[in-house]
Amino acid sequence: MKLDIIKPYLPWITLLVLVLVVGIANPAFFDPQGMIALVADIVPLFIMALGMTFAIYIGGIDLSVQQMANLVTVIATVYLAQFGIGVAFVCVLAGFLFGAASGFVTTRLYVPSFVSTLAMGFVALSGAKYLSGERALSMDATLRNESFGWMFGNTVGIPHELIIAAVLLVIAWFLQTRTTFGRSLKAVGSGELAAVASGLNVDRIKILAFAISGTFAAVAGLMFSVKLSGGDANLANGFLLLAIVAVLVGGTPLTGGVGGVINTVIGTLIVVVIRSAMVYLEIDATQQQMVFGVVLIAAIALTIDRSKLRGVVK
Amino acid sequence: MVDTTAGIAPRARFLTRERIIKWAPLLVLGVLVLLFPFFEWLEDVRAGDAHTYLLDSRFFSIRNAARIGISATPALMVAIGVTFIIIMGSIDLSMEGTVSVCAVIFAFVFIAWGGTVLSWAWLAIPIAMLVGAAMGFINGLVHVKLKIPSFMASLAMGFVGTGLALLLTGGDRVRVEDPIFRSLLTERWFNFPVMVYVALVFLLIAWFIQSRTTLGRNFYAVGGGEELAHASGLNVERVRLMGFTLAGVFFAVGALLAVGRIGIAETATGNNFMFVSITAVVVGGTALWGGIGGVWNTLVGVLIVNVINNGMVVIGLPAFLQDAVLGILVIIAVVLSTDRRSVSFVK
Repeated sequence: MKLDIIKPYLPWITLLVLVLVVGIANPAFFDPQGMIALVADIVPLFIMALGMTFAIYIGGIDLSVQQMANLVTVIATVYLAQFGIGVAFVCVLAGFLFGAASGFVTTRLYVPSFVSTLAMGFVALSGAKYLSGERALSMDATLRNESFGWMFGNTVGIPHELIIAAVLLVIAWFLQTRTTFGRSLKAVGSGELAAVASGLNVDRIKILAFAISGTFAAVAGLMFSVKLSGGDANLANGFLLLAIVAVLVGGTPLTGGVGGVINTVIGTLIVVVIRSAMVYLEIDATQQQMVFGVVLIAAIALTIDRSKLRGVVK
Repeated sequence: MVDTTAGIAPRARFLTRERIIKWAPLLVLGVLVLLFPFFEWLEDVRAGDAHTYLLDSRFFSIRNAARIGISATPALMVAIGVTFIIIMGSIDLSMEGTVSVCAVIFAFVFIAWGGTVLSWAWLAIPIAMLVGAAMGFINGLVHVKLKIPSFMASLAMGFVGTGLALLLTGGDRVRVEDPIFRSLLTERWFNFPVMVYVALVFLLIAWFIQSRTTLGRNFYAVGGGEELAHASGLNVERVRLMGFTLAGVFFAVGALLAVGRIGIAETATGNNFMFVSITAVVVGGTALWGGIGGVWNTLVGVLIVNVINNGMVVIGLPAFLQDAVLGILVIIAVVLSTDRRSVSFVK
């Protein structure tokens, strides 16, 4: 019975234990400035995972986020001179439309989201290659600072990236918990057939969920682009699996309907702590990947709430 | 099921909806094989050159078929392994790690024990397969015993595998230059390299396991309805463990062929296998929710993906367009081979 009470807090406990273990092994980890820098550094990954949460929450998956971010880095770099700060709108719109297209292919053409988003990711990759001419582009420094300089500064010691992340988190949290749309997302994730039977327009809800995922991926891409001051069809590579892991470790299962954006915050933090622990614990570079995998299995085994997986573990 | 087609003209009965959907992937493959020569024909006719359709095609030639075969065989082995898992309704994302580890361990043992197939080094081949089986078994244990969904368990095991390969090699490449082992690629029978025949043998073994053994039947039982299978007295956990172990063996075979193809084993040997193999399985008509499909579907799926990739290069499609065309063709192939009426919803 006691276990049932702490179950919802297991991801928090896992995070706390990890932080304590790393901190006791190397007290330098507890340095507040270092911690803030650490967290600010992963904001693009967090935003990507935040969008992915919506796709997974309805029981799907979005494998296009990485390519979407790649495409946006190129769009942002190519059109910055032309549109100034307005390029942000173009990027977000591109993300929304691409995500909606994935949703359309999934719901109306009956292609599983695993394949449809993967395929749409290839389309985005082609777009990025075409626009960039398959070269790494760089932004004009003055234009970048004029339009997006505000993204990377400090106000009373808090990096602006963190504020952006917090604002997006509040928006996502509001969408998920305080709107009818959020409620219907949960309905679709918990039982799609029941949602259809109760008269929800499930197709529209799912298309919107994928569109949101694309939009967040676009914002993440924009941040990458500004941060690295350039665009490239491979810039965001390596973030897809980490974003999925962040969502899953946080406690949003692939079956959908449980978890949510707050879980993704914890999940992302767990991933970051594990990753940075390697540095603080001075683990050899060749061993890091393997240690990451093993710790990940332990973290998942501790975190996931099996009673909500509804019987069968596939 | 009641035969609703009874009483309809024989011709209509021959072309039932089920039949069309069953053969749709093969149809897609056929159309693609005829489509790429058509573009070549179009180009030559426009330029005013003489070109007989198919006969003068660079794509539709034995030489190019061998090329497609070489590029397809390692992916085919990996895809067959994951087919068993997908039939059970699970998924396995650990193939990149497993392939890398098997390739690297094979190369180390092979070189340490003589470096040629004619010495004791040939034992490296069964050892690599055992390593694959062990990796798959551990993967299955994590999934079944820790009750972690296979997506997450195998994803994390994939990280462990890639990490282990990196740890073993320290980031170096290991060359396997034994001419007898490399004859997998260099020796040709009837225009096709030996590795294609090796893959064919393993395809037949997989087909035998799938259709002629209890284990194969049980995969379908678990995929068709796990609770039902459990209620009928099937040890579902054991079937899952066996499935993941078997998949590991096929990943190892894929690793051996990949090393035979390029003569190098490294951490990156396993790269790109994950999405290609799963896409191929789905394109071939095996459903991600389990219970439907099989190894022949996977063969067709792998061929479709490789024919598209090869054909785009042969007709000289601009490189930046190739990813998008592959993506769109994959969507079309899946749309054509999905039985919409049997699916209530798609995740």
